[in-house]
Amino acid sequence: MKEYIRELFSGYVRIKVVGSYTELFINRCIEYGIPIWNIKRIDEQTIVLSLYISDIRRIRPHLKRTRCKVRIHERKGFPFMVQRIVTSRGFLAGVIGSILLILILSNMVWAISVNGASPEVEHKLRKAAYELGIKKGKFIFQLPTNQEIQQELSESLKEVTWIGVKRNGTSYHFQVVQKQLPEKEPAADPRHIVAKKKAVITKMYVEEGQAKVKENAYVKPGQLLISGFIGKEEKSQLVPARGKVYGRTWYVSSVDIPLNSSFVTHTGESKTNYSFRVYGFNIPIWGFKAPDFKHYEVNERETNFRFLKWQLPISISFKHMLETKEVERTYTNKEAVDAALTVAREDIKDKTAEDAEIKTEKILHEKVENGKVNVKIHFEVIEEIGKNIPIVQGD
Amino acid sequence: MAKWRHGLKGWLTSRLKLPADAVMDLPRITMVGQLHIYIENHQGVLKFSNEEVRLLLKQGQLLIKGKDFMLKTILPEEILLEGKIEHVSYLERPEDL
Repeated sequence: MKEYIRELFSGYVRIKVVGSYTELFINRCIEYGIPIWNIKRIDEQTIVLSLYISDIRRIRPHLKRTRCKVRIHERKGFPFMVQRIVTSRGFLAGVIGSILLILILSNMVWAISVNGASPEVEHKLRKAAYELGIKKGKFIFQLPTNQEIQQELSESLKEVTWIGVKRNGTSYHFQVVQKQLPEKEPAADPRHIVAKKKAVITKMYVEEGQAKVKENAYVKPGQLLISGFIGKEEKSQLVPARGKVYGRTWYVSSVDIPLNSSFVTHTGESKTNYSFRVYGFNIPIWGFKAPDFKHYEVNERETNFRFLKWQLPISISFKHMLETKEVERTYTNKEAVDAALTVAREDIKDKTAEDAEIKTEKILHEKVENGKVNVKIHFEVIEEIGKNIPIVQGD
Repeated sequence: MAKWRHGLKGWLTSRLKLPADAVMDLPRITMVGQLHIYIENHQGVLKFSNEEVRLLLKQGQLLIKGKDFMLKTILPEEILLEGKIEHVSYLERPEDL
């Protein structure tokens, strides 16, 4: 039994020994302590016997001395079995196939988790992420970088103050900090509404409180518009004043527009080269040549391949080249003024609240100087001018 | 001289009950039916074929005849032969005859 196990584990061969003095060969093997077994005669000249793999070299001198020739007949035992398995095509294909499969699966998104969001926001976030392509089974290198994802999601979700995007291997984690939407204004403290800039009142809506000015009245900053005191003098009562006061206000904006300017724009032509990067070496897979355009901007994105939890030194890189063009722009005086108006309007929009409305605009003066047009524009705007101030009671 | 020593060994075995195979370098042969024959104290294989095996002994040779012989194990002093054993005989050296 012991012998049998040793035979199996160390591996042995059945060899054919051909010669006129095969008995002599057997005797010499015994004499020199080379284990042989299961000896069988095939014909006058030939015997078959078993021999350990490790002894194959040792029989050579004895073969020479007894003028026998040897041929390997069969190989048996685990070492040969392993060799056979490893060299068999099916096994090899299986091994390569499974490595490839793991490689592919290691580079896919498998889980998406959201932390810190209410169910509603979580649903919206998942939907937004889905639209960005973050879904189960998607290849990670097809997805934008975490930073881009973060930016996109923050923009598309209004209810969220901050989104942290983290990728851990094959799973995405979103950490959400939700905006604390203000509760329905709590019973406010008594207050007045005063003007925050000088204006001519155009409209007033008083919800609570007492109107102190009329339409078309001219008000100065700090002037009381809606009072928090209601009722007659003896029974006067303090309330938080509520209401909206719109007034006509004035702005003057001064804008400089150069007549000649040059800037760089994209022509719309682009080319993408794909390549593998192995230990820093670039192996192009698609798109070998540099683009035919002279000036271009390069956007590069690189994603590492992973195998299970390990980062491989292989990455796939996308090189997106956009053709650019330097454009010389020359305004005529009229065009320059139009451009200045547009700029000035944007400026006013920035300065005022969203519901403000530009009523009139008037160019005060325009001057061409040193290749620049300087335009001064006067705007009349209707906007909310009310501002809350608390009533501090003296006692 | 050799004859004298032979006599001494014969005396030792018969009088002191020492095993003859050990003292006199004689082969010890064990058979299991016709299936196996196990020979200790042989001096080498002279002839090996499917029907006949001739072994060298200290004195003379051992001839085994049968069918489908196979040397299961072979070690410096022992042999296990498998097959259908029909005939076992000693061939003595001519000078001993």
